[in-house]
Amino acid sequence: MGIFIQQVFNGLTVGGIYALIALGYTMVYGVMRLINFAHGDLCILGAFVGLTFLTGTAGSGHPGAALLLLAFVVSIVVVAGAGLLLELVAYRPLRRADRLAAVVSALGASVLIENGIMLIWGANVHVFPSGLLPATTWVVAGASITFVQVMIIAVSVLLMAALYLFVHHTRFGTAIRAAAIDQDTARLMGINVNRVIASVFVIGPALGAIGGLFIGIYYRQAYFTMGWTYGLYAFIAAILGGIGNIPGAMLGGVLLGLFNAFAAGYVSSSWQDAITFGLLIAILLVRPTGLLGERVAEKV
Amino acid sequence: MAESAEIATTAPLPASRRSGFHTSGAVGLALWAIALGVPAVLNSTWVSVAAIFAIYAITALSEDIILGRGGMFDMGHAVYLGIGAYVTGILNTEFGWPIFATMPAAILLAAAVGALLAAPLIRLRGDYLLVATIGFNAIFVLAMQNNLGGITGGSDGLFGLDVPRIFGLQLASQPAMFWLDWVVLGGALLLMRNLERCELGRTLRYLKQDELAATTLGVDARAAKTLAFAIGAGLAGLAGSLFAVQLSSVGPSSFVFTESVTLFAIVIVGGQGSIPGVLLGTALMFVVPQIFRDFAQYRYFVFGFAMIVVMVLRPQGLWPRRRTAV
Repeated sequence: MGIFIQQVFNGLTVGGIYALIALGYTMVYGVMRLINFAHGDLCILGAFVGLTFLTGTAGSGHPGAALLLLAFVVSIVVVAGAGLLLELVAYRPLRRADRLAAVVSALGASVLIENGIMLIWGANVHVFPSGLLPATTWVVAGASITFVQVMIIAVSVLLMAALYLFVHHTRFGTAIRAAAIDQDTARLMGINVNRVIASVFVIGPALGAIGGLFIGIYYRQAYFTMGWTYGLYAFIAAILGGIGNIPGAMLGGVLLGLFNAFAAGYVSSSWQDAITFGLLIAILLVRPTGLLGERVAEKV
Repeated sequence: MAESAEIATTAPLPASRRSGFHTSGAVGLALWAIALGVPAVLNSTWVSVAAIFAIYAITALSEDIILGRGGMFDMGHAVYLGIGAYVTGILNTEFGWPIFATMPAAILLAAAVGALLAAPLIRLRGDYLLVATIGFNAIFVLAMQNNLGGITGGSDGLFGLDVPRIFGLQLASQPAMFWLDWVVLGGALLLMRNLERCELGRTLRYLKQDELAATTLGVDARAAKTLAFAIGAGLAGLAGSLFAVQLSSVGPSSFVFTESVTLFAIVIVGGQGSIPGVLLGTALMFVVPQIFRDFAQYRYFVFGFAMIVVMVLRPQGLWPRRRTAV
């Protein structure tokens, strides 16, 4: 029983991170029908920027919590800026081109960012400093739950709730949803579609930066190829929930996190990835629209 | 307009266009014949780069059958290259088959796996097919790493493959391997050229332009696409077999997802359905990085940058397919 509860909490923590990253994939796909392959790398860029800020300010005498908060702000700003730049330079010129051109541009952006990270920070594994957060651990029914886990789960839930309210209950959120259904009609209704797309490339990477920094803090390490691994998982989460569907990405992230935790805990960690990809293919065969249904208008 | 032209051209071509085809074919043949002389002029490093170019060119052409001509977003093509390489490696090192005897098996198994994987998935929307093939690629590499069935050699792979022998002749020297690879490349180019003109080629082009119209006219989209997938996978299997022979070893790291991404990008960067485009793409994406080995740190950074720049400036590819009515 203790192991079960433990895996549930581990799964929820990782699931919260997957969900934060998956939101970036699903929002971009919803509006542009583009798999932004560079998204995972942007998230890990967030982890590296945050790490550099934290190691640079360590020992400056300021309270740890304030520095950590600032690290998040700095990495959000940098990553959102990179996302916006990426949209302008690599995706905007290709909006009317063959879709595969944009796919290859996205792959190129991923290679570029990944190797950019390697050039700046090196190819070695960076270890996150300890003592940033209280090392408090609670024991619940035989499972130990750390402060970091509780923080990640709580912040993820809060951010997802905020995004849901923003997209479904504000004017700009309505514009995003309208552009996702039909860009041309949205334009005729006076919506500035360019601004909507730009905003998606700010919100997605911003949430992704938080997710990336969480990965660093949770696993206490960062390396430059991490973006692919976590990006792919988050993308699977987005498909699991139904691509283009924001609550779907949240549900998909949490379910995938739990699934992974149990696969690792009960089956075998060397086959964990294979099991996850097997699950992905099974979903695509049985229910390709995902659990909550995709929100993508198919162009005929 | 394009669609109607497509249907109407079952009639013989006008002489002018036919001669155009012959010219490009003659130029291609001449270039290929000149390339056969590489071992006489260049040193061994370049001979092996040229041999590897031929192997990757065959693989890229096979990806073009599926992606460029079939319009199916296959981002796991390294799997079929890997199946071919492992079939040759396992049959040769564990069962003592001669190299040339393993090649038909490599082709058949890769083609069968391709058809089996593709059949249920090709009805999916393009992006989902892409994601599913990424998944297959990851599963394949893990299965090889985890030493599936105890015959794949785990993460180290298989070593000590025999050299190919034909009529008592050993193809052990580097020029001999080079010629073997280039003769197979010649065969692959001939296959592509015939595919261009045969019924399957025309069916695929029609499907790519307007699948709804084609199926309404009675074209069996699923059969044509499955067949294209099988041919592409089989050709990649043959390339994989050559790859194993060239390196005289097989390891999982040669067939990881990044390789599939590169193959995918070659077709799009070079030009979908364009033979010279795919060859140019292969030269740029596989050979140029080999030349810039000394700048290892920067080369992939520049590589990613170049992919974006090429796509933004030439979204149709560097050497796009000619707009012929055939």
